[in-house]
Order: sequence, then C-alpha cells, then structure tokens
Amino acid sequence: MRRTVAANRWRMALRAGLLFAVAMLLGGCLVPREPATTQAETTFSLYILILVMAGIVFVGVEGFIVFSVFRYRRRDDRLPEQIHGNNRIEVIWTIIPTVIVLIIFVFSMGALGTVQAKSPNPAVTVEVDAFQWQWTFRYRDDDNDPNNDYSVTGSAQQPPVMTLPVGQPIRLVLHSLDVIHSFYVPQFLIKEDVVPVPEGTADNELEFTIERAGTYSGQCAEFCGTGHANMAFSIQAMEQADYDAWIAAARAGESPPPAPPPADATVIELNAKNIAFDTDRIEVPAGKPFIIRFTNQEAVPHNVGIYSGGTELFQGENITGPDTTVDYQVPALEVGEYDFLCTIHPTMNGTLVAQ
Amino acid sequence: MATTNLNPRAESYRRSWVIEWLTTVDHKKIGIMYIVNSFLFFFAAGILALVIRSELAIPGLQFLDESTYNQAFTMHGTIMIFLFVVPVLAGFANYIVPLMLGAPDMAFPRINALSFWMLPLGGLLIFSGYLFGGAAAEGWTGYAPLSSNADKFSAGVGTDLWIMGLVFVGTSSILGSVNFITTIFKMRAPGMTIFRMPIFVWTVLVTAILILLATPVLTAGLIALFIDRNYGGSFFDPAAGGNPILWQHLFWFFGHPEVYIVILPAMGVVSEILPVFSRKPLFGYRAFVYATIGIGLLSWSVWAHHMFTTGRVFLPFFAFMTALIAVPTGVKMFNWMATMWRGSITFATPMLFAIGFITMFLIGGISGVILSSPPIDFHLQDTYFVVAHLHYVFFGGSVFGVFAATYFWFPKMFGRRLNEKLGKTHFWIHFIGFNLTFFPMHSLGILGMPRRIADYSPDAGWTIYNLMSTAGAFMIAVSIVPFLINVVATLINGERVGDDPWEANTLEWATTSPPPPYNFDTLPPIRSERPVFDLRHKHDAEQLAIEGTPIGTGERP
Amino acid sequence: MSVDAPTSQTADMGPRLEAARPQDNRGLSIPLVGMLLFIASEMMFFGGLFAAYFNARASTPGEWGPPPGAEELSPVPLAAILTVILIASSFTMQFGVWAIRRGDQGKLRMWVGVTLLLGILFLSGQLYDYSQLGFGIGDGIFGTTFYTLTGFHGAHVFGGAVGMTILFARASSGQFSARNHVAVEAISMYWHFVDVVWVALFSIIYFLK
Ligand code: HEA
Ligand code: HEA
Ligand code: CUA
Ligand SMILES: [Cu+2]
Repeated sequence: MRRTVAANRWRMALRAGLLFAVAMLLGGCLVPREPATTQAETTFSLYILILVMAGIVFVGVEGFIVFSVFRYRRRDDRLPEQIHGNNRIEVIWTIIPTVIVLIIFVFSMGALGTVQAKSPNPAVTVEVDAFQWQWTFRYRDDDNDPNNDYSVTGSAQQPPVMTLPVGQPIRLVLHSLDVIHSFYVPQFLIKEDVVPVPEGTADNELEFTIERAGTYSGQCAEFCGTGHANMAFSIQAMEQADYDAWIAAARAGESPPPAPPPADATVIELNAKNIAFDTDRIEVPAGKPFIIRFTNQEAVPHNVGIYSGGTELFQGENITGPDTTVDYQVPALEVGEYDFLCTIHPTMNGTLVAQ
Repeated sequence: MATTNLNPRAESYRRSWVIEWLTTVDHKKIGIMYIVNSFLFFFAAGILALVIRSELAIPGLQFLDESTYNQAFTMHGTIMIFLFVVPVLAGFANYIVPLMLGAPDMAFPRINALSFWMLPLGGLLIFSGYLFGGAAAEGWTGYAPLSSNADKFSAGVGTDLWIMGLVFVGTSSILGSVNFITTIFKMRAPGMTIFRMPIFVWTVLVTAILILLATPVLTAGLIALFIDRNYGGSFFDPAAGGNPILWQHLFWFFGHPEVYIVILPAMGVVSEILPVFSRKPLFGYRAFVYATIGIGLLSWSVWAHHMFTTGRVFLPFFAFMTALIAVPTGVKMFNWMATMWRGSITFATPMLFAIGFITMFLIGGISGVILSSPPIDFHLQDTYFVVAHLHYVFFGGSVFGVFAATYFWFPKMFGRRLNEKLGKTHFWIHFIGFNLTFFPMHSLGILGMPRRIADYSPDAGWTIYNLMSTAGAFMIAVSIVPFLINVVATLINGERVGDDPWEANTLEWATTSPPPPYNFDTLPPIRSERPVFDLRHKHDAEQLAIEGTPIGTGERP
Repeated sequence: MSVDAPTSQTADMGPRLEAARPQDNRGLSIPLVGMLLFIASEMMFFGGLFAAYFNARASTPGEWGPPPGAEELSPVPLAAILTVILIASSFTMQFGVWAIRRGDQGKLRMWVGVTLLLGILFLSGQLYDYSQLGFGIGDGIFGTTFYTLTGFHGAHVFGGAVGMTILFARASSGQFSARNHVAVEAISMYWHFVDVVWVALFSIIYFLK
C-alpha cells in the first residue's frame, strides 16, 4: 500500500508540474496589446500592478498546496496532531488580503479618475449611433444642425471607419437606436455601453486621446441579437494635418440633391419597417431604367441594393426614418431574377424580377 | 390524507418500484432523483458546449448560423446554472443534510417532492423552445430591451418559454430553501448545537437564505419581462418611459447572490472532504462559519459589478464591496490549506477533486478580483476573460465540488465505492482538459475577443487559443466517459465497503450505507462537529452504549 | 394541505423517531417557521416590483400618473373603501385565531367565513375599479406598474381566499382544536402579510404623488 502511495506521489508530481507548465505556456500572453491612448496607458500600468499582486497570491497559495500535498501525504496509521485553529495566524491571514484589497482599490480609483476625465472642449466630437447591426459615425460641426453633419454608416460588406486625429482629446456621444450595444476598442483598453435612454436622459460619453497613428479595430461588445458578431468597425488615427485635409474633403463631398427622375419611368413603391421590407418580390420592365421610391418608416438606417449573385448592380445610399423617402434611379436591367437587399441588414432581402 | 406513504411499511410492499420512486417523499430517494436529473441536464448543456466550441474552433461559420449559435450559448448557460449546478447541489443537500443533523427526513417531505418535480418541468419548458421555432437567444442574462420587445427584437415563443421555465425552477428552489432552513433550525438531533453542525450544513443554510431572498426578485423581473413582451407593458421600454437598465439591476440583484448560491455548498463539500482525507479537523471551524456568513451578507452589495460599463452605477462603492469578498473567501482558502498542513493525507478520488477545487477556484477568484477593478473591467467586460473567470469558478469550483461529492457520498448512497482507478483516470483527464479549455480564454479576453460571437476575424490572432480551447473541451467530454462507465459498473457489481469506508467524521456515517427509511436506529452522542470521529477515537463507555452502529474500517485506497 | 405534513409525519414515525427526535418542540412549530420563511420570500418578490415602480417614477421625466386622457387616480371613495375592507378582514381573521385558541370551533368557523366574504368583496371591488379606470396595462409605464402591482397583490388575495375556503371547510368538519390548529395560524399569518402589502401599495400609489 505504501508503495502505491509513493508511486502516486511521483506520478502526481510529474503531472501537476507538467500540467501547470503546459497550461501557462498554452495560456500564453496575459498582457494586453500595446495601449494606444493616454487613458489606456493608465489602465495598462494598473493592470500590470494588479497582475503582479495576483501572481504573488497565486504562486503563494498554489505553492503551499502542492507542498502540503507532497510533504504531508499519509505515511503510517498514527493520527496527526488534531489542530483546531490558531487565532493569531487567522487574524494575520484576514489582514493580509484586506491590505491587498485596499491597495488594489486605491490604485483603481486613481486610474478611474484619469480614464473617465472629460476635457472642457474636445477637438473632435463624434456622435456614435448604434443600431442592429451597424454603426453610424456623425462628425459634429459648428452649426448645430445635425442633418448636414458628415456621417459614415457601415454595411455588412464594409465596416465603418472612424477617422480621427492623434494627440487630441476625442469625445464620443454614444446613442442607441434600439437595444443595448457596446463600443469597444481593445487597443484602447476601454468599452462603454450604448444604452437606449428615455427622452431627456443623457447619453453615455466616452473620451480618449490617441497617441500613435494607425488603424485600430473594434466591435460591439454587448450582445445585441443575431448580427452582434458583425458589428465591427475600425478607427483610423492620423496626424492632425492629414485629418484636417480628410475632413475638409469629406464635408465638401456632401451628397448633392438627387436629379429629377425621367418622366415616363416606372416607379416601384418599397417600404421598410421593423427591420423588414414590405414585400419580398419586385417586378420591373426589363431593359428600361426605373425608380424605386423607397420609404424608411423607422428611425433605423436602411438602403436598397440590387445584386446578381455576389456582384453589385446598384447600391442606393442609406436613409434614416421615420418616414423618409428617396427615389433611387436604377439603371436598366436585362431579363432575369436579381436579389435586392438592405446591405445594413442582409436579412432584409427579396427577389427582383425584370421581364 | 397521504400520510400513509410516509409509513415505511406501507412503502415497502404493494407498490412497484416505479410508482414508489415517482410518489416517494423520502429525502434520500428525492435527493438521488435530483442528482440524476441534474446530470442529464449537465450532459445536454455540455453537448451544447461542444457544439459551441466546434463552431469557434476556427474562424468562419462552419456548423451553425448566428441565431442557432445564440440559442446554443443561451441554453448552455441557462441549463448549466439553473438545471445543473444549483439542483445537483440541492440534491446532495437533500440526501445528506438530514443525515448530518440526525433527522429522520426533511421538515416538509411532500413540499420536498413538489420542489423536485418542478425542475424537470421547468427544464423541459425551457428546452421546448427548440420545438416551437427556436429557443431563447438573448443569453442567460436576457438583457432588455433585446429580450423585452417581442415585436421588434426577440420574436417567437422561445423567450416566453424560457421565462416560464425559469419561474418554475425559481419557485422550486424557493420552496426547497424554505424546507432546508426549517429542517436545519427545527430538526437537529439532541446535542447537535448550531456550532456543532457540519460545515456542509452551514453552507447549505446560508445558501438557502440567499435563495429564499434573491430568487423572488428574479421572479419579479421575469414577470415584468413577460408583461412587456405579451401585454404591451413598458417596464424596460425607453420610448414609453421605461428603463432597460432596471432589468440589469433586478437580474444581478439576484444574479450575484446566485453565484455564491452555487459555490457555497461546493465549498461545504470540500470542507467535509479535506479533513477526512487529512485526518485532521477543519482548521478554524468558527472562522469558516463566520466567513460563510460574511460572504452571504456581502453578496447583497456587489451586484452592479456586472454593470460597470453601463455608465449608470456608482463605481467606487460596488468596486470596493466586490473586492472585499476576497477577504472572507481568502479565510476559507487559508483554512483549507491549514487543514492539509501537518495532516496525513491520502489521495482517494474525492480528495483529488477537492484539491482540484481549491487550486482551480483560486484562479477563478483571482480573475474575479482583477475584474472588480473598474478601469480593468472596462477592458475585460463581456470578453472571454469573463468567460474564463466564470468557468474557473463554476466548473473549477462548483462542478469539481459536485464530482468530489459524488465520489465521496456514493458509498453512502449505494453501499458500494466507485472504482478508484477509473476515478483517478477521470480526474486527471478532466483536470488537464479543463485547464486546456479555459485557461487560454484569459488570453482571448485580454486580446479583446468579445463573448457571444459566433464568428471572428482570422487576422485577429485569436485562432490558436480557440483551437486549444476546443481541443480541451473534447478532452473534458472524453473524461466523462470513464465516469459514466464507473457509475454503471459500480452499481452493477462494485466493491461493497461497509458503512464508513472513508473513516469519516460526520453523522451521516453513523448509520448503515444506504440508510434505512428515517435514517437512524440509534445515534451516537454528539459532543463536537465530528461525532463519528469521537466515536472512533474515544474508547470509553459511551461507545459500548451505542448499539447497532458498527463503525466500518474500510480499506484505504 | 402540506403545511401539517410534519405533524402527521411525526404521527407514524414510530420507534425511529424516538432514536432521532427532532427538537421541534421548542419555539415556533415547524409549519409556522415554514410559513414565515415563505412570507419573507414573498416580501422580496413585492420588493422587486416596488423597486420597478420607484425606478420607473425616477426615470420618467414628465408628470407621473395616468396617461393623458384618463383622469387622475383618487384614493376616495373606492380605493379607501377597499382598504378598510381588507384591514377589517385582518381583524376578523385574528378573531378566528383567538377563537380556536380558546377551542371555540363555532366562532372560528364564523370568523373565517366573514374573512372569506370580505376577501371576495375586496377582489370584486378591485375588478370594478379596473373597469372604471380610463387606462390599461399597455398605456405607458404608469399603467404597466399600476396594474402589475395591484394585480399581483390581487392574485395573492385570491390565493388567501382559496386557503380561507379550505379552512372554512375543515373548520366546518371540526378538524381544529385548541391544541391542533396550525393551519389556521399559518394562513392567518399569510393573510395579515397580504394586508400589509396592500397598505404599502395604497399609500405609495395614491399618496406618494
Ligand atoms: C460560482 C460563481 C462565481 C463566483 C464564486 C464568483 C466570484 C467572484 N466574482 Fe464573478 N462571475 C461569475 C460567477 C462567479 N464569480 C459569473 C457567472 C460571471 C459572469 C456573468 C455573466 O456576465 O454571464 C461573473 C462575473 C464577474 C464580474 C463581472 C465581469 C463583467 O462582466 O464585467 C466581476 C467583476 O467584478 C466578478 C467578480 C468576482 C469576484 C471579486 C469574486 C470573488 O468572490 C472571488 C473571491 C475569491 C478569491 C479572491 C480567491 C481566494 C482568496 C484568497 C486566496 C485571498 C487572497 C487573494 C486576494 C486578496 C486577491 N465576477
Ligand atoms: C456550471 C456552469 C457551466 C459549466 C459546467 C460550463 C461548461 C462548459 N462551458 Fe460554459 N458557460 C456557462 C456556464 C457553464 N459552462 C455560462 C453561464 C455561460 C454564459 C452563457 C451566456 O453567455 O449567456 C457559458 C458560456 C460558455 C461559452 C461562451 C459562449 C459565448 O459567449 O459565445 C463557452 C465557449 O467556449 C463555453 C464552453 C463550455 C465548455 C466547453 C464547457 C465544458 O466544460 C462542458 C463539459 C461537459 C461536457 C462536454 C458534457 C459531456 C458529456 C458527455 C459527452 C456524455 C455523453 C452524453 C450522454 C451520455 C447523454 N461556455
Ligand atoms: Cu451591437 Cu452587439
Ligand atoms: Cu457577480
């Protein structure tokens, strides 16, 4: 019997040691990627501090357990001393964690202050509209008329890009059009929920100062339904000068008023409501340009694109309701069946028949 | 009235065993039914987990589309928590607590049966969503307004069935906790003072109180949710003056106590097993009791640590209270360590799982403390780091505890001991597979992989860790096979090991294995929290005075 | 009734109970402890609903009350009358309890009967109230919270009334005595609890404008 125990002991020693080696190696990095904002710097060093403390606790405790397991295995039938407790040591090991916890708390609160600090007037303020399952980024300009702000809306094919200057405080106003989403950029080590709020309640705001130019990918981090996994976006950080050039060009290229439709063209009515079209079949005359009079009845951006297989034949721009109407002028199509869909919500789709 | 079926004789004849089990009010039979039922749900939810892992192994959608995936993890989480961990521990408590107290049965045997039968009912309701056009798919946390607006965001009866099922399961555990608390307060044998109760009983007591006070709040929330979905209510609808965050408050006010509900009894199990296999009393019994109570109290003041990123909670308070829970839990950790220290330790399978528990729960606890720092949580919230944390505490904690309990009390329940070789094989594959599955998830979270996504980009650098994790998941699955074989084989012709194979301490071992109806013919004197130990080691007159309870000296592995 | 399970259980526990006699003779009897615990959980349930009510009030920017169109809620006359009825029923219930403690089965039967009637009166009064109010559960957050809270309280009154009916039946067949009437005590506790909840509801909904 003693032998089996001894054998056990060695097998255990081997396995246990091996296991933890393997686990740690496999576990790989426990350190985030290089932080990209000043706020992230703070969080990063806080994280390292806590990680070290955690490491000490971990090694201490696990070490003691493994030691006891080997040192105090049963050798004979003598009953070990029946120790029921020891007040002094129990007090000590109540105090130690308390101290560690206090340290962690104090440093966390310090870091929290920096991370959440808001500057009086940020250089750029972007209104982030989150909706199932895309983002719209609207760049506030000086006149306070939101309608003519330059804005980017992502689509399933191409996630939206938020272009920003480095070295400047950036303010994001996080507004949700439907459910709760979360704006998350891993390399900024931060996320903030995008919560739908009653009228008159303030939206969440997020502020950061990017340090290095580059592209940082992000995505929605709060589960928001079927398309949650597809709510990706990216942040393109560039030098101030390049940014100024970019935003100027962007604002200049604001959408011109649509040309009047040809008098004789056929007009097809199409409505969008509750993330769905009101029909899944459209019939148009082949070989003639036609008009899709598209009405978006809800406060969620939609568009209409016409595809054959994967290839785009027509792509209308996004409009956001309630009850906004646009006339899409679609070039002539030859006889055949095509797919029409909202590229923001690929689940909104149907067949378009030209005959 | 139906009191006849409380009469042992009436049970023993003129009844087929099927009827007998279906109509039993014997806490031991009910306990076993709890456990079997829970393990079936565990397998179901586990297989869902395998589906999840297979989908995540590499980028791209291989097996599932998004909505199927979302149903998979929602069902996985819901079933694992509400129909596996909570009930399985309740099952062991059902079987063991009256025995540990020297009581003939639970205080309300028939309510006990009722609360059991509500479980499969609720579970099947929850699952039946799959038959009616898709199960619930809003995550086990069912956040509003995604879950509360049936017209726009979550059509289909799946979510309604989920709500109803949870109400049943909740009611079941409320009734159960009434039963446990009453039993523990009113049914203790003479001499079993409150501070001589086994630690397992203490943890069950605190757990029951948490269930009693936390679950009704979830029920209230679920009802509000149901009203919003089906009767045009607007609790959580911002457009009509409601507030989606309210759901999170209601859910987590229940949800955080819930997590201690599933860990405390497991801690109790470990605190029974470590002393037995170290042949020492639990170090610092009273400190341990106070720590348990402390955790119970603190767990009411931390719920919003799940809501740090909503920007709508007072961070410093909740951050501090959350981190503070490390202190009482630490006390328990150190008590366990000190119990093994200078002991004489043997490594039977229950002990292996108990040691597995403390080593793994430590990791989960530490990752918890890391999450409790708001700035860091801003990064890690809703990433795989949280998934890693919750599995280290749930699986490395509670489930290791459940297996420890299974191996430890199996001889009590059936008079036969599970095969040690198979048991150890199970443990090691399980242990390694577990770490292989969940440790890499820490890295995934730190690298920024969000949870609840069916697919991820191949150039995010997450693939390798996901591959490991998937491999580990199947390793865990494999480890379950020797366990199942072991159980079946042992039931058929396992080694008969007498009444007290482990040379244990507590009262349940002072009767026959399995115990007779109403449990005890005679009781040993209860002078400490280890009556059976005293009996074995104090060779004085009392022991002779006890008839009919021979203390088996089972072969030690 | 499962409340008296343990008593009947102790009845035929036989010799084994002698060996392991539970110490259920000191303090409250087992069924009463059970009922108290159950009431505790019920309190948390209504606590959750009240939390929802206050949260809704807090997060509603404008005027808190029935939706535009429907006229204001007023405590008088109906709601006040209902309150009086329910409070009265608590007293009649308690008279019943005292009666059976003296072993007076006839009085018990009478008081339980009266309590049952008052309970039914309350419920029908509330239904009438519902029919008169100019708004429904779907009309904005106030309607939702109002009907949910009062509705679930009503459901509890109904549950109590069912229990009362059973008590009445058992009392009529003389099943209770001065020594054995634990079911009466238990159900009266529950009834008082439901009463208290109503008083809280009434004062919050009608007076905390
Ligand atoms: C059994 C279940 C269980 C247990 C016991 C715990 C225990 C703890 N949990 Fe965990 N937790 C969950 C289950 C559990 N948790 C689940 C399921 C979720 C996710 C829910 C979801 O969103 O789906 C979650 C999420 C979660 C979050 C939110 C993450 C997020 O979504 O942003 C946080 C944040 O504070 C947290 C913290 C903690 C802490 C501080 C503890 C502490 O109790 C841990 C204390 C223990 C120790 C610390 C180890 C022993 C102590 C010592 C050795 C002393 C010395 C140590 C130190 C001083 C560090 N948990
Ligand atoms: C006690 C709780 C518990 C347990 C034990 C587990 C066990 C496992 N969990 Fe689970 N998990 C949760 C609770 C739990 N989980 C919760 C609460 C969530 C959050 C859900 C949400 O986000 O809403 C979650 C989420 C979750 C995710 C994240 C999904 C996502 O966010 O997208 C993943 C991914 O890998 C995962 C994996 C696993 C794996 C591989 C196991 C494995 O350990 C499973 C091992 C078990 C088996 C493999 C069964 C094997 C049995 C057999 C093979 C026997 C043969 C069958 C018969 C004889 C019938 N879990
Ligand atoms: Cu939007 Cu997840
Ligand atoms: Cu928590």
